Amino acid sequence: MEFLVLKNVKKSYGQDENLVHVLKGIDLCLNKGELCVMLGPSGCGKSTLLNIIGGIDSCDEGQIFVDGKDISQMKEKDLTKYRRFHLGYIFQMYNLIPNLTVRENIEVGAYLSDNPLDLDYLLRVLGLYEHQNKLPHELSGGQQQRTSIGRAVIKNPEILLCDEPTGALDYRTSKDILGLLEDINEKYGTTILMVTHNDALAHMADHIVRIKDGEILSDQVNKKVSIKQIEW
Amino acid sequence: MSPLMKRIPREIRNGWSKYIVIFLLLVGTISLCSGFFVADESMLKAYNDSFDKYNIEDGHFMTKNPLNEAQRKNISRHVTIYDLPYVERTLSSSKIRIFKQRHTINKVDVLEGRLARKEGEIAIDRLYAKNNHLSIGNYLDNKWKIVGFVALSDYSALFENNSDSMFDAIKFGVGVVNEKTFNQLTRSQMKYCYAWKYNKKIKDEKKAADNLLKVINEETSLDDYVPRYQNQAITFTGSDMGSDRAMVMMLLYIMIIIMAFVFVVMISDTIMNEANVIGTLRATGYTIKELIFHYMSAPMIVTLISCLVGNILGYTYFKTLMASLYYNSYSLTSYKTIWSISALVETTVVPLILMIVIHYVALRRKLSLSVLKLIKRDLSKSKRKHAVYLPRHIPFFTRFRMRIIFQNIGSYIVIFVGILFANLLLLFALALPDMIHNYQDVMKSQMIADYQYILKVPSSIQSEDKLKSMISLLSYQREVETDQEAEKFSACSLKAKESGAKEEDVMVYGIHKKSRYVNIDHQGDGVYISSSYHEKYGYDKGDTIILHEPYEKKTYKLKVQGIYNYPGSVCVFMDQEKLNEDILKTGSQYFSGYFSDKPITDIKKENIATIIDFDTVTKISRQLDASMGKMMSVVQGISLVMFMVIIYLLSKVIIEKNGQSISIIKILGYSNREAAKLYILATSLVVLLSIIVSIPLEYYLLKPVFIAMMKTEMSGWIPFDINKIVYIKMFIYGVLTYTVVAIMEYRKIQRVSMSEALKNVE
Repeated sequence: MEFLVLKNVKKSYGQDENLVHVLKGIDLCLNKGELCVMLGPSGCGKSTLLNIIGGIDSCDEGQIFVDGKDISQMKEKDLTKYRRFHLGYIFQMYNLIPNLTVRENIEVGAYLSDNPLDLDYLLRVLGLYEHQNKLPHELSGGQQQRTSIGRAVIKNPEILLCDEPTGALDYRTSKDILGLLEDINEKYGTTILMVTHNDALAHMADHIVRIKDGEILSDQVNKKVSIKQIEW
Repeated sequence: MSPLMKRIPREIRNGWSKYIVIFLLLVGTISLCSGFFVADESMLKAYNDSFDKYNIEDGHFMTKNPLNEAQRKNISRHVTIYDLPYVERTLSSSKIRIFKQRHTINKVDVLEGRLARKEGEIAIDRLYAKNNHLSIGNYLDNKWKIVGFVALSDYSALFENNSDSMFDAIKFGVGVVNEKTFNQLTRSQMKYCYAWKYNKKIKDEKKAADNLLKVINEETSLDDYVPRYQNQAITFTGSDMGSDRAMVMMLLYIMIIIMAFVFVVMISDTIMNEANVIGTLRATGYTIKELIFHYMSAPMIVTLISCLVGNILGYTYFKTLMASLYYNSYSLTSYKTIWSISALVETTVVPLILMIVIHYVALRRKLSLSVLKLIKRDLSKSKRKHAVYLPRHIPFFTRFRMRIIFQNIGSYIVIFVGILFANLLLLFALALPDMIHNYQDVMKSQMIADYQYILKVPSSIQSEDKLKSMISLLSYQREVETDQEAEKFSACSLKAKESGAKEEDVMVYGIHKKSRYVNIDHQGDGVYISSSYHEKYGYDKGDTIILHEPYEKKTYKLKVQGIYNYPGSVCVFMDQEKLNEDILKTGSQYFSGYFSDKPITDIKKENIATIIDFDTVTKISRQLDASMGKMMSVVQGISLVMFMVIIYLLSKVIIEKNGQSISIIKILGYSNREAAKLYILATSLVVLLSIIVSIPLEYYLLKPVFIAMMKTEMSGWIPFDINKIVYIKMFIYGVLTYTVVAIMEYRKIQRVSMSEALKNVE
């Protein structure tokens, strides 16, 4: 079942001689519950594409359908609702709110949902229960990213957008975090779109998209392998 | 030059909205203060020079009859005497004292128009004319044509009587006519006033005046005797100028200190954002001093430019504005602007030094962290290690706001102090006019009597010769007897010399045992002080007050038996017989005044020294209103602008500091309204709480300031009663002003871009 459909999405920055075409007509289709890994070198446009799908940025041309609704035509108010009710976002640098505790950072996400997951349960699943009253600066990178994941998934979003979620983490912690995303995908059927430049992570995906210079180089379905079995 | 200096113009450009607001506030404050200091100093110099320039008297005395040649000759052995007779005319709502042209003593400065040359012309005091809407060409009393506005050098403050608690430039004025016109005035109404100048320079004014008093007393019976140092019409202006200066300076420095802290909060935020850069610079060899110098450069440049622009405006525009405030109160002679080094130091050098010291101390503390800590952005000296525990049952948004408050506690403390100070000014500006009007209302119902007649008592009554004294008393009583319904009382004027206060005339009333006007217990051994006395000097039941004879060394220690509710003046009530016997040393039959519900018409005018009615009692309030009323609107404006600027700058810093967090919550799906509910409402709560907490605090802060002002600057008292409406107004002004800031901050939150969070900066 098609859940996320992109049709000829174009985006450029700058003017005249400084004009840079970042996305040159992207067509993409993701099914509900898929875990999609988007690969490509730095500056290829994958983060821009993620931001456009996330309603943070807008495209110059093309259409983006999420569950049948064209978000490219939405006004700021509707985009806010879209992000609020359908989307979870995970950043490379966690982007936690520094003056809130772990628990409160996750509550930031819970507030947005009428039917959030149980916070204590989630804290235990994330291995953060013991750290729930700590501030972000008291946590390790992995714990901060777990908090960030908790904040994104507590509202049980339909799509989880992950921008280099393990980019700042070591191998062991990266594996833990990716395992957590894998579990969320399986347990809640959340559609996950993960941007990375680590080729090895492609094996954990149902769907692999490769981008280069603003264009899709390949778009293939994959038989996924558990992250536990992937080495890099 | 350090390459870092190149950043400074960029830093100012990037933060222009903050810097421009601070710049404008500093320029506004400094130009007002500089203008005030220049005007004050120039006028004070003009005032001091006026003693020689206009040959101001060393004192004056008044006699019932003109001095004869022998008396004149005897007194002239000690001093030079100048005739200064006058008559008084009661006009529709005021009184004017008319002199003949003075050529040698207490000379006149013509400010507009000319002096009276022809018969029927008059030149009147400028301020009196202004207050009574009189113009050149108008007729006074349908008789005299006004041909000029003048300042009489011996009436810079228009005190009708030297014992008055306050001058009254609305109901009392002075004027000069030419000799021919003056000579046509009714001789029976003539007041024989003589000014004197000492023949040689004297060291001790008081001693010289006391000696002269003895000499004159031997020659004639005095109606009034006022040495210059006691003459409020001459000295009040000079002492008021000095005391205002101290108050303005204090306000300026409090303002500068608050603005310095606003700057420090802004720089701390920058340092927090640039900690890793600072660490790197330190690692490459930059010293702490160089970095301190760098980070304090922008605020110092802004302060310096503000000081310079402020001074230029002060010397040009605001000097005139400030001078006009003095000209609204006093009948000053003309002045020339003087280049004031002290004004420049006070409004440029001192603010800069204050800024430098506060910045240096704050920056030294921030920048002395280890290089490694700075590079790692671990500002643990200023960052809380652990989160404050907040119970989970508190709603999430409330906890979120509390965290914002904890995070920005430094900024919020500065906001609180700023609000406290701004509200103190606001309360003063709102309360003073209200207190003045309230006082007038209260006095309508709290007068002892609608009319108090203080009689002219011949000094022979207090003669040592008992027989002479008794005969004098009998003759006096016959002279001043009235057939109208009135109650007799005794009274004398003594002086209160309280430390840190201006010497004050205190009327001591001797009240009849069956008085229907003043209800006191006549049995005790003490006296009752008026509620004004109690409030102004803090004396209570059981305390002892000390009063002094005006022209003698004699003092009286009086035990306070109770407080009598009378806000009209600083006075004392006691049993009439006790006053007569213990203080006045007259017989028990003695009296020196009447309380009456109606005007007494059957006593000759020359036997009446003063009539105290509603107008007399409310003189202090009218004068305060006339001289400070306009100033109060300016103070209200300044306090609201200050209130707005402090909150605007600091809430801006808070929003900027949390820019990334705001961006994140927007990405997560929070609306602008929700972001504002979190980030603006936290500040709103602090502002609201600060306003609410500051309101009762202001009362206790303002009260000692008000009492000190009344003690040092004026005789009399206005009860420090602040109407609840004033507090409500203050609250509403505060909330409305903050609403403007909140709208600006809401726009700022709207403008926080979601890309802020994507910059990948922790």
